[in-house]
Amino acid sequence: MRGFLATFAVGFKSLWKSPVSVFILIAFPILLILILGTALSTYISADIELEPAPMAVAAEEGGPLRAFLASPDISPFFELTYTDAAEAEALTKSGDVICAVVEGGDGSLDVLSQSQISFTAQIALSILDSYQRIGAAAAAAATEGGDIAAALGMDLSVTDMPLGKRAPSATDYYAVTMLVMILLYTGLNGVELFSKGMLSDTGRRARTAPISKAALVGGLLAASTVTSFLQGMVTFVFSGVVYGVYWGERIPLVLATLFAVVLLSQALCLFLLMLFRHPGAAGGAAQAFFWVSTFVSGGYTKVSFGPADAVFQYAPNAMAHTVIFGSIFGGNEGKMMFCLAALFGLGLLFYVLSFILGRRRFS
Amino acid sequence: MVASMENIVKRYQAHTALDHMNLTIHQGETLGLLGPNGAGKTTAIRVLTGLTTADAGETRLFGTEMKGAALAVKRRIGVVPQDLALYETLSARDNLNYFGRLYGVRGHDLKNRVDEVLELLGLTDVAKKAPKKFSGGMKRRLNIGCAIIHRPELLILDEPTVGIDPQSRNHILSFVEGMAKAGTTVLYTSHYMEEVERVCSRVLIMDAGHVIANGSVEELTKAAIFEETVTLEVREAAPDLPDSVKKVQGVQRCEPDGRSLTVTSAAGSQNLARIIECAAPYVILSVAAKRPTLEDAFLALTGKKLRDNGGEGI
Repeated sequence: MRGFLATFAVGFKSLWKSPVSVFILIAFPILLILILGTALSTYISADIELEPAPMAVAAEEGGPLRAFLASPDISPFFELTYTDAAEAEALTKSGDVICAVVEGGDGSLDVLSQSQISFTAQIALSILDSYQRIGAAAAAAATEGGDIAAALGMDLSVTDMPLGKRAPSATDYYAVTMLVMILLYTGLNGVELFSKGMLSDTGRRARTAPISKAALVGGLLAASTVTSFLQGMVTFVFSGVVYGVYWGERIPLVLATLFAVVLLSQALCLFLLMLFRHPGAAGGAAQAFFWVSTFVSGGYTKVSFGPADAVFQYAPNAMAHTVIFGSIFGGNEGKMMFCLAALFGLGLLFYVLSFILGRRRFS
Repeated sequence: MVASMENIVKRYQAHTALDHMNLTIHQGETLGLLGPNGAGKTTAIRVLTGLTTADAGETRLFGTEMKGAALAVKRRIGVVPQDLALYETLSARDNLNYFGRLYGVRGHDLKNRVDEVLELLGLTDVAKKAPKKFSGGMKRRLNIGCAIIHRPELLILDEPTVGIDPQSRNHILSFVEGMAKAGTTVLYTSHYMEEVERVCSRVLIMDAGHVIANGSVEELTKAAIFEETVTLEVREAAPDLPDSVKKVQGVQRCEPDGRSLTVTSAAGSQNLARIIECAAPYVILSVAAKRPTLEDAFLALTGKKLRDNGGEGI
């Protein structure tokens, strides 16, 4: 514990005392928010940023679902193709539509989603989800003693969320995607700190001290993780206070997701460092991966890759977006929890791989 | 006995860095470890300090075999790596605090000890400054300070004076002498022969992964067989002198340089008097017979010269 605490303290202090690190940790995120947030929000207004989502609908003609989708509040979000159930499924599989909604004979809805990688698709699915919940609530209300809240699966006031709540502005969107991106890049702090504290002459000297390697490694990783997370908090608070970015009401879930991103980033960078045994090579590989992950997840600009979206929705950034946007604007709970667990799980996996490689490296 | 290495073998793939190396360090001595680049000095220190494990052989520190973490034994040694091993953005005091804590020094004892070490190394005035603003000599001193903060019984210094000015070098050498006088056992590696001659009570010479000579500086210089070199200077030009000197028995080379003449004879020739006799017709201004040094002993034993830009460091 003595070695862990001493290493944690020195790692934490050295990260915050380095002018370059301070710039990266604080000024850089604030500058990004300032420049991109301000610039984009001036010409992309909240109500025009969503592209209509191509969606196939297999529903009774003149029925309530078609009426709902044709309503003035909802119709701008969709580019609808009315068809039967089989073709709706085929269109989804081929990627011609983002999702399909098939109405069952008993009034139930079956939503087929090719991918939720697109932010527009998430909003579209969120709308359908609300429609389904409203329907369930109505059914519950029609049944004597029916539990409306249970049927909705959430608080009553949330049922009209996509219609009543504000839509995400460009600033909201980029605040989330950039924060995820920045936190992913903070793994590079870990590369720097771990190289210094474990692999360099300073680290070698520390390894001649009477402390275990686990305490040394743990202290460095904890210092880098805490510093990186605090960096995220600076951007998080700043974006909310200065730009009024809406982070939703499930703040603990958002923070847990951000923490999962930090852990994954640190673990991946540590793994690359153990693999390449060179800070420059590890940092370069990490940066390339972060860039690709951010790009395919729509972190730089919203983009669709067709069928490949089915894979790209599991990029680290995309999974974090799924959880955070889902928590703010309503999303598929199952998928959100899966993505959160996957982020933590991947982090754990890379830590384990790092320690396996590290045992060889330091034996 | 403070430390011992018996029949240590360490291989890096096809290269054998240590080839059945034996070494003992006695209580209170200052042992010099010399060797050309690639001789295995750094690997020996790595094995000794537990940074790497040997493929064969046994290493003991303070009577305990160095196996696994050996944390209790590590507490009793201090290591000064060849390259600077500091957090350059943290202050000198922070660096000392960190390494002190790693060795279990804490509270008031740590604060007092940090003050003491800063004073000892002449760094009190810059205690709050970061080493990145220090001169090379100051960094080297702090590098040593971090190794002695916990009062080690065995201090291992791997070329601690590389690349610094003579004043700082003298400061460090005086410091090492002081540590030795105070009873600390020291293992000192250097490429500077005069440093080893000055501070070490015993010297080991390594080559190709094992020790090839062991003894005091006097013992090593006596044991090696050297050529004898005499340099004499005359007042006026003496064009015939080299030819007459070359006829003296045992003379191998005769190198004139202006009015100076350097004469190299085979070991044991003892022909100084005969060389002076050859120069008798001229006015002799000076005669100098070169005394064999540790450098000569090293050269005679290894066939190699030491270089300033040494090994890779710990």
